[in-house]
Amino acid sequence: MFYQTKFRSITLIAALIFLASYASFGSYFAREIVVEIIILAILAISLDLCAGFGGMVSLCHGAIMGVAAYAFAIMSAKLGWPLFPSALIGLLAAVVVSGLVGWVTARTNGIFFIMATLAFGQMAYTFFFKSRWLGGDDGMGGISRFDLSAIGLEMNNSLTFTYLGLGVLLLAYGLTAMVMRSGFGRTLSGIHVNEDRMKALGVNTAAHRAKAMAFSGFIAGLAGLIAAQHTLYISPELLIWTTSGEALIVVILGGLGTLVGPVIGAILLILMKHEISDYTDYWHAFIGLVLIFTVLAGGRGVFGQIEYWLNSLRSRHHDTDNHQTAGKPQGGDHA
Amino acid sequence: MDLSFWILQFLNAMQYSMLLFLLSIGLTVIFGLLHFVNLAHASLYMMGAYIGISVAALTGSFWAAFFLAPVIVTLIGAMLYFTLIDRMRTAGPMNQVLVTFGLIFIFLDLVRMGWGDIALGLDGPQSLSGTTRFLGVDYPAYRLFIIALGLGVMTTMWFILSRTQIGVMIRASVENTNMAAAMGINVSTLFFLVFCFGCALAGLAGVAAAPILSATTTMGITILIPTLIVVVIGGLGSLEGAIAGSIIIGFMETFGAVMIPSFSAVLTYVLLAVVLIWRPQGLIPARG
Amino acid sequence: MEKYNLSYWGTIVKTIATKLALVTGLCLNLGFSMISTASAETKVGLLLPYTGTYAALGNAITEGFELAIEEAGREDEFTVIVEDSEMKPPVGLAKARKLVYQDEVDVIAGVVSSGVLGAMRDFIHQSQVPLIVANAGNNLATGENCSPYIVRVSFSNGQINRPMGTWLAENGVKTIYTLAPDYAAGHQMIDAFTKAFTAAGGEVIGSEFTPFGQTKDFGPYLTNAQASGADGIFVFYAGGEAINFVKQYGSFDIKTPLYGSGFLTSPLYVEAEGEAAIGVRASLHYIPTLDTPENKAFIKAFQAKYNAMPSEYAVQGYDAALALMAAVDNGGVDRATLAAQLPRVSYVGPRGPLEIDPATNNIVQNIYIYDTVMENGVLTQKMIDTVPSVRDDAAGCQM
Repeated sequence: MFYQTKFRSITLIAALIFLASYASFGSYFAREIVVEIIILAILAISLDLCAGFGGMVSLCHGAIMGVAAYAFAIMSAKLGWPLFPSALIGLLAAVVVSGLVGWVTARTNGIFFIMATLAFGQMAYTFFFKSRWLGGDDGMGGISRFDLSAIGLEMNNSLTFTYLGLGVLLLAYGLTAMVMRSGFGRTLSGIHVNEDRMKALGVNTAAHRAKAMAFSGFIAGLAGLIAAQHTLYISPELLIWTTSGEALIVVILGGLGTLVGPVIGAILLILMKHEISDYTDYWHAFIGLVLIFTVLAGGRGVFGQIEYWLNSLRSRHHDTDNHQTAGKPQGGDHA
Repeated sequence: MDLSFWILQFLNAMQYSMLLFLLSIGLTVIFGLLHFVNLAHASLYMMGAYIGISVAALTGSFWAAFFLAPVIVTLIGAMLYFTLIDRMRTAGPMNQVLVTFGLIFIFLDLVRMGWGDIALGLDGPQSLSGTTRFLGVDYPAYRLFIIALGLGVMTTMWFILSRTQIGVMIRASVENTNMAAAMGINVSTLFFLVFCFGCALAGLAGVAAAPILSATTTMGITILIPTLIVVVIGGLGSLEGAIAGSIIIGFMETFGAVMIPSFSAVLTYVLLAVVLIWRPQGLIPARG
Repeated sequence: MEKYNLSYWGTIVKTIATKLALVTGLCLNLGFSMISTASAETKVGLLLPYTGTYAALGNAITEGFELAIEEAGREDEFTVIVEDSEMKPPVGLAKARKLVYQDEVDVIAGVVSSGVLGAMRDFIHQSQVPLIVANAGNNLATGENCSPYIVRVSFSNGQINRPMGTWLAENGVKTIYTLAPDYAAGHQMIDAFTKAFTAAGGEVIGSEFTPFGQTKDFGPYLTNAQASGADGIFVFYAGGEAINFVKQYGSFDIKTPLYGSGFLTSPLYVEAEGEAAIGVRASLHYIPTLDTPENKAFIKAFQAKYNAMPSEYAVQGYDAALALMAAVDNGGVDRATLAAQLPRVSYVGPRGPLEIDPATNNIVQNIYIYDTVMENGVLTQKMIDTVPSVRDDAAGCQM
């Protein structure tokens, strides 16, 4: 179940304010970092929807993001279509592809689902890698950013672009939160917890899973559009499984199933990476240590763990307040 | 294409299959028995190769490397088991993925620090250099050795699993861990032994592959996906599944490369997708 | 009605305050760490991979670059800012933007990957910052996508392979079977070879592209190549793939002679290939055994500083620095003047005579045909022939 608690809202707002300030007052490179965080955070949110709530851990979300980016680039840079319709086509492509993958893998679960999505992701990667007309592994340039001069926004200004990116992040979060709180979201959680029971209740679980994947594909597509417009150049790298792997790490690092956790995870991972790589080329090892430590410290991810501590503080507090008698065990102190 | 061409390619396919088998059997038994997603298995494979190279450089003998590297890798695995893996057994797949990804990163940089970024080669033993006449063709002796090694491990595993006490215990624990424990099987010792054995196989695969594939910092990550595919296609936790999976993937990739090279890259993934859609539990899963 | 205790809110506020303090501290720290201290005359951004599969190349190029500046005793004149491109186009581009906008460098040097180069190209051109390419060989960068601000001192994919195609055909090789990894560079290398080989009268009777980065086992392909009955096998492989290919070629005891572009037996890793590399004939723009005073001096200096033999990558870095210093000497003080002077550079370096072709901004250099041989227990290169002053066609470049 997903609840938009006060703590989650506060954390999200605080994160956005932090990112905005960092971009505004930090150096030029700070803006590059913030956009990198935004893209990864949106991708992670889309993954949290499937994995955290639906139990469908996907290793193809990077590929879906790539599909959206490529569709957008093909329509606008190669075929010369105007930018907004091209972006819509990009999103549509992401929705269609992820929906198909979700439908086709509806009977698989657990590690098998992961591997199946990996297979599709890699197929998409190979397709773009080998397409000479799309530049192959050298990639494709000539992409332009939206022209928002009509409303007074200069997209080529990196600060404006970053602010808009933050807006899209908020939008992605908001849409996902809304969906997860709705009946659709609750059904999805239900399928995750006990698929047979949901089937017995008459839910077409396969269709539901496909729809969930399709919606998460939409969100991932948003990340893809930002990625394409940020570097004005795309290459098949976006689609390699390691991109999806990084998103998965970020989701687990932040807190699976919290929706805010992925955002925090993205901020932590990217900042850590840049900070450590200033000192040494061997930053992978440090990140590895952090990941292991996060799991050993409780396994709920950084944000998830903080939330958990707050909740147990709070529930212990209420017990003292309401003078609950001893002998009633409080759930939740087990590791 | 005459017969000798097809025999050569058949041997190529067998050799690749055996390499995949050595890696996947360790991974699948760990999966099946400990329910542990050990992505770091590929890192142990990498360590086997690099440690083998160092031992060979120190002692001047390939065979010393061949026997010592798996032992050292097993020690590393045992250490990991006591510090991390044992705790993580009940932690759920997500946390296991995170922890083993963390281990992959750490091993990657450890290798970079210890052996540098340049790819390193290992010379096979003198006794196995050059080609020998086999099935009417001249085939590299060392590759024949790998085929023999793989078949040997296959037979040994089959024997252990179906004919020995410990094999029965392993199979019972894979099918139903709680019941096996209730029947008096010392499941936690079994877990440890099987884990160590899996690590030994990974190290062995690494040092055995090094003369052909050389040691690079990304060799673990590169072989991780084909190994996972073999394990998943074959079915988790079963020896037959690992055999079937490695032979299918090995032959498909080899003959795919021979006959339809432009598509051979995707072939494995297409097969994976097809198998998972048709038989979501894999071809020969250990549990029905 | 629930009453929220003061201490409940206190906890929340404390948590957020701590978080904010932490991140503000982090912010300031990062901000400070990015202010560059500028005191020298020319600021150079060195953009290379220091992590990932080609980290070894990034390090080799850096070693050559730094050696040149040190040898000339001009460390005071140059501030070098090093950035890791991670071989990823978006990362390379982000770092390039940082070097230009934040560090305000006068010139960027490096770039190993053609993918990164492709991503950077428009940015470099539009911000009018000179770029000295020290490796990436994509033909288009000095062809269709050329720019007056991009100068290449390494090689183009075509440049290395055309001479080999012509030379082989003229020296008795009638039929060839080609192999290369299936990616843009692989195709460009083979295309250049095939065109030249066919034009000189040869015939390519078979060609295969192996899956890029995945293929470690070349057995099936080697078997195919041998079965074709060609006079020779011509390949392009580099790095770990080259090591594997040559070793496996040796293990199969294939009688067909092996030819390639020199990355196949690069001094950087030929030792790992062992005896299998003996007799392989290749073409490359630099071999350490070049018998010229400039090269001998270079090798001596390189070995003294790094205790290893230089590879073609180190030379590319060395020449990038030499070109930069020459441009500075000729009046290059800022981006515009450096961009104007870099294409005019010409001198005799460890590779031999080199200059920049004004039509493409690509280097014009000798290509050497050489065999790998064993001398005193060490693998080394024996020069067979020199193809002088190889120049690329304009190929659609308009500057």
